[in-house]
Amino acid sequence: MAAPPFHHPLRHPGRLRSGGWGHLALYIVLGIGAVLMLLPFAYMLSTSLKTLGEVFTTPVQWIPKELRWDNYVTALREHPIGHYFRNSLFVAVSVTLLNLLTCSLAGYSFAKFRYRGRNLLFGTVLATMMIPLASMIIPLFIVVRDLGWVDSYWGLTIPAGTSAFGIFLMRQHMLTIPDDLLDAARLDGSSEPRIFFGIVVPMSKTALSSLAIFIFMWNWDSFFWPLLVATDDQYRTLPLGIALFESSYGTNYPQLMAVAFVAMLPVLIVFLVLQRNFIEALTMSSIKG
Amino acid sequence: MQTTQTAELRAGPQHAQGRRQFRLTHLQKRNLWGFAFAVPALCLFALFSIYPIARTFFLSFFDYSVVDPPRPVGLENYQQILGDPRFHTSLFNSFRYVIFTYIPVWILALLLALALNTRIKARAIFRTIYFVPVVMSWVVVSVIWKLIFHRNGLLNTMFLSPVGIGPQNWLTDLQLAPDAIVILSIWKEVGFFMVVFLAGLQNIPSDFTEAARVDGSSSLQVFRYITLPLLQPTILFSTVIGLVTGLQIFIPQFVMTQGGPVDATLVLTLDIYQTAFVFLDGGKASAMSVVLFFIIAVVTLVQFRLYRSRAYG
Repeated sequence: MAAPPFHHPLRHPGRLRSGGWGHLALYIVLGIGAVLMLLPFAYMLSTSLKTLGEVFTTPVQWIPKELRWDNYVTALREHPIGHYFRNSLFVAVSVTLLNLLTCSLAGYSFAKFRYRGRNLLFGTVLATMMIPLASMIIPLFIVVRDLGWVDSYWGLTIPAGTSAFGIFLMRQHMLTIPDDLLDAARLDGSSEPRIFFGIVVPMSKTALSSLAIFIFMWNWDSFFWPLLVATDDQYRTLPLGIALFESSYGTNYPQLMAVAFVAMLPVLIVFLVLQRNFIEALTMSSIKG
Repeated sequence: MQTTQTAELRAGPQHAQGRRQFRLTHLQKRNLWGFAFAVPALCLFALFSIYPIARTFFLSFFDYSVVDPPRPVGLENYQQILGDPRFHTSLFNSFRYVIFTYIPVWILALLLALALNTRIKARAIFRTIYFVPVVMSWVVVSVIWKLIFHRNGLLNTMFLSPVGIGPQNWLTDLQLAPDAIVILSIWKEVGFFMVVFLAGLQNIPSDFTEAARVDGSSSLQVFRYITLPLLQPTILFSTVIGLVTGLQIFIPQFVMTQGGPVDATLVLTLDIYQTAFVFLDGGKASAMSVVLFFIIAVVTLVQFRLYRSRAYG
């Protein structure tokens, strides 16, 4: 069942009949809340444009006398932030593509084929969803070390190459594809891989884009695993880079905030552009989950 | 289509029999393909999930320094963590974190969802603003909040000093450090649950609430006797997601306090990480991992049971 669209004011007349004081109070409370939600970001942006001496003035000086854009230039030139950024982008995009492939294939397999052990395999996959990463981190690290993947892009991407949540999401979607459609293609002599790529994938665009959003977001934010496998600066991703910057130059607040802002920007842009998909993806998964 | 039909007509009965045989093997072939489609994901799971978790259980009965080969010690690791005050602290801190963070988060998120499920204007803008922290990276927000909690940072200068409260050492005070991380987490998490509750509320047919309204029920009665019961699956879902993610929290403690001061913000996952990769006691860390695994498993299974009994009972 698809999530109901959000913009249905008439279907949900709600509690407050019309304007009046109740409504005004609601706006004020929601407005204060919204300001509190955005304040940390404003503080970050403001601090990133200050001199070191201006950071801790009382009262807080929201707009510095002179905007120090060179904090950004210095931070990006003197520290390999651009490099971390590219690593993050590469890892997040690779992991997302891998997941789109493995999860849609496995979801299709579990939804549309009958073979011995299918339900057992699907059940096992679902059960892995509740294993906390911390509970398997030691052997996982040993496996990756024995493969020679510590400090390599392999180690950062391949172990994250599939997800139980993704398989579940794709299977639920693929159950809705009519069997007749697939059988018709078989009668026409299409091979199974061709049916998958030519019919099933194009019909799954919405589910695939939801999955892509989730996987990209999780992996852009990923920290615990890269912390272990990327010990060399060459392979560090942005979250690791920021944590490292924080622990080594943590008192250079303007530059630290500049770096944080740069790190935040791509996700913020993706979110603002795709926010309807973001929220629908979340809604869909929560209702189905 | 056309060609198959004509071919069938031309070949007659003999060919039809050959075709039936062909179709049988064809079905087998198809399902073999079906299985093959699952193989890439299954291989990844086997190597990077199933084997590691099984190995964790195994290693929890060994003395293992991550570097040297494991040496069997029976239940010693479990006896050790049972009597280890540090482990008790991290267990306590994790549960404290979950309760102090998620109970306010759930209440605030539900109130926000109720407020945004009305006819007010600009609801889309409010929803977007409250959701922004959710999509931000934990590391980035931890770095920002570390500055906010600074002795001369935003919280002390803008909010506390005007009401006459002197500057507090939020991240180095034994009492305040856990609360500081809780405050950050409430801010970060509330938007997620708001959207979940909003979806749940919009799944409730408006006829129900309308009918109750017409019958003269007050807003509070509608909420208590109609909205809340119908929202139960959503509430259950939120409880599990909150507990499961909250018990695995790691980044803010790692970035902002490193578990300190004096283990005040040492949570389970951070304890496991440090025990394994800083103190190189893989056996003990494995035993702790097994405990974490069972806590999460119990939480998930209890939810599953509740869900079932609500659905069919």
